[in-house]
Amino acid sequence: MTDQERSTDSFHSYLTPTARLFSDCTRLRLLIYCWLPPVLMALLPSEAWAQDTPDYYRQNCMNCHTIGGGKLTGPDLKNVSERKDAEWLIRFMQNPKAVVDSGDPYAAKLVEESRGVVMPVAPGMSRYRAEQILKLIEEESKLEESQFRGMQISNKPFAEADRFAGHELFVGRRRLENGGTACIACHSMYDIAALGGGRLGPDLTLVYERLQGRNSLAAWLMAPATETMQPIFKDHPLTGDEIHSLTAYFAASAQHRESDASVSRITFLLLGLAIAAAIIFAFDAIWKGRFSGVRSPLVETVNAKQHRTEEAHAEQQQPPSRSELLGVSDQSPPRGDS
Amino acid sequence: MQVRSQVSMVFHLDKCIGCHTCSVACKNVWTDRKGAEYMWWNNVETKPGTGYPTKWEDQDKYQGGWKSNGNGKLDIRSTSKTKIVPNIFHNPHMPSLDDYYEPWTYDYQNLFNAPEGPDQPTAEPISMIDGEKIDVQAGPNWDDDLGGSPIYAENDPNLEGLTEQQRLQLSSVERLVFFYLPRICNHCLNPCCVASCPSGALYKRGEDGIVLIDQQKCRAWRSCVAACPYKKTYFNWFTGKSEKCILCFPRLETGQAPACFHSCVGRIRYLGVLLYDAEKLEEIAKLPDDELVEGQRSMILDPHDPAVIAEAKRNGIPDGVIESAQDSPVYRFVMDWKIALPPHIEYRTLPMLFYVPPMSPVQASKPEDTITHNSENLFHDIDDSRVPMKFLANLFGAGHEGVVRYALAKQKAVRWHRRAETVGDIDRETADRMLREADCTREEADEIYKLTSLCTFEDRFVIPPMHREQAIEMMKEPHEHREEAGFGFVGGPRRGL
Repeated sequence: MTDQERSTDSFHSYLTPTARLFSDCTRLRLLIYCWLPPVLMALLPSEAWAQDTPDYYRQNCMNCHTIGGGKLTGPDLKNVSERKDAEWLIRFMQNPKAVVDSGDPYAAKLVEESRGVVMPVAPGMSRYRAEQILKLIEEESKLEESQFRGMQISNKPFAEADRFAGHELFVGRRRLENGGTACIACHSMYDIAALGGGRLGPDLTLVYERLQGRNSLAAWLMAPATETMQPIFKDHPLTGDEIHSLTAYFAASAQHRESDASVSRITFLLLGLAIAAAIIFAFDAIWKGRFSGVRSPLVETVNAKQHRTEEAHAEQQQPPSRSELLGVSDQSPPRGDS
Repeated sequence: MQVRSQVSMVFHLDKCIGCHTCSVACKNVWTDRKGAEYMWWNNVETKPGTGYPTKWEDQDKYQGGWKSNGNGKLDIRSTSKTKIVPNIFHNPHMPSLDDYYEPWTYDYQNLFNAPEGPDQPTAEPISMIDGEKIDVQAGPNWDDDLGGSPIYAENDPNLEGLTEQQRLQLSSVERLVFFYLPRICNHCLNPCCVASCPSGALYKRGEDGIVLIDQQKCRAWRSCVAACPYKKTYFNWFTGKSEKCILCFPRLETGQAPACFHSCVGRIRYLGVLLYDAEKLEEIAKLPDDELVEGQRSMILDPHDPAVIAEAKRNGIPDGVIESAQDSPVYRFVMDWKIALPPHIEYRTLPMLFYVPPMSPVQASKPEDTITHNSENLFHDIDDSRVPMKFLANLFGAGHEGVVRYALAKQKAVRWHRRAETVGDIDRETADRMLREADCTREEADEIYKLTSLCTFEDRFVIPPMHREQAIEMMKEPHEHREEAGFGFVGGPRRGL
């Protein structure tokens, strides 16, 4: 093999198989890639998105709205397109706050009815999404019994046992059946001592009032819609019993109005400082010898000892000679000079 | 039998003149770099003395080496999986810079640039670490030739077990004695530094047993620094990597003796291959202290034994290495003559650098006005030597005097024998009796004499063919390797991952 051949050969060996195909069939490649994107664009949305609109609704809308199940936090959406035109609805879905702020009277009325709660924008909301949802609501409105009528929550009265079970679930002493995270991880409550609960989500002492009672709260718990909670509970939903217990607990806690987060926040801060200081002192105690080497302490102790003996000898006037210690008579010079 | 080869060493302490040429050669070749100023991969210590770093032999302080944990296992003293977490911010057993010394140079520019004045300008010492003027308190051989004895010599950890009188004798003028202990990495068979590394950066080279630190893998844990009982790994504060003696492997690979061996003025150093049985390693390392020296000898295999040769070949040891092992001067000192002993084998790392213990003058006393000697046989009465037997036993016999006495007796017998041969003031019979008592023959005595006194370069250094090409072939295409290797650092050691 000549040098020339070897160099070409090694050049080819550096290319990956795909790269080699590229360099060989450039024209063919161009042909393929020209028509691929439009086809993909035509295929993807209709195929994939049509399927997940009900799922999207279930995750983002159902906790405040029913279709034919009555009002929760938000209004019942049955036949909503008869009440308002499609264009307005789509605009509202995409940015409810802007519509409310624009002074739209209908939007103002909605806010009033839901006691000041402005509808949040659902994650991933787009014009296309909004259209699909409207279509879904229209279809579901025609049905006698919509799948989004809302879960039938038991109406049995809250017992003391329910409240206790709710508390246990909240603080995580009892695990959530489907493996969801305990509430305390992100939320706090009036009756949780010193360190309080998590600070990521709001204090839930008065949540029962905020969400206007049992039905809406239960609906929320069925499928929490905020960006933080949704991914956590999407695959680990609460069971009916758990929702019942938690609602009972929240209903009871709402009686205690003195939810004072600031107190526990200060205790939290002070406790944190105290623990940090304790850890630093503990480290200091554990490694208290960390700055002492071997050589300098050795030199210091020997020097100190010598100093002491010299002083002692000065007092005695007659130092015991080394030869006495050795048991022979010699006149060796004092230590240190040798 | 699992035969492996190890490049091993013998230092003949009776010949060391303490000139530090080895240290300087090593410094110039390897550690004359930023961050390595304080390192002496080779250093020469005066014994009795505390050495470098100060009191390195005091394992209560430094916690180096292995320790038998009672249930038949060996533990690293300095670290373990449980110890590493509480000590993650600070390893309490690490020598500090003060225990080595703060490296310094002199402000030579001042000699030229100083303004005119009534006095001669001086070159003041300045730290090589921060460039500030320093008051030099210690150096790598501060206690050289018994300098600072009341502090350093009297606190030599090897003085343990000596009587108060023996200790005093060591420092009284007419009995004063010292000898030199040159030290490099022992390239141990059971290296504690390798075992302690959390990053797996240290390894023992398969073909020659040289212990190395991979500068790419080192993550600055410094576990090796704490673990090595001989304190022969050092942390480079500039590159953030640990470093150690590499037994000049680039020189060995080209058939040259390591720099410190090559430059040795007293010709005290011997280098050669030993074949050993790696299967016995664990069992030997766990033996009680008094059996360790013999145990290590039992691991070393006879390179002339056909069974050993066959097994070595089966294990891939090249013929050239086996031949080299047959000529090894180290084998003669350690195995044939048994006069070379491992230093501090009680650390259980099984060092592969052996020392021939030094002879010393007999004790003297001054009963009246003249100094007389306690013994008539000046230089030859080993139990009346100025260096107490116990001291040498602490250094080379794990505290047990038997092996040291044997080695010294044989050296003494060789001298009597040669004196009878050449000077003739001693009659043959006495010399032969000496030889018999020392378990030595005339022929053996002549051989010891020859390899000790009349040794040439080739006698002292029997360097095996390293066959690096074979080792490289296993890892890499040799052509590729040739293109990547060269002068200087190909990707030098740098801080971080």
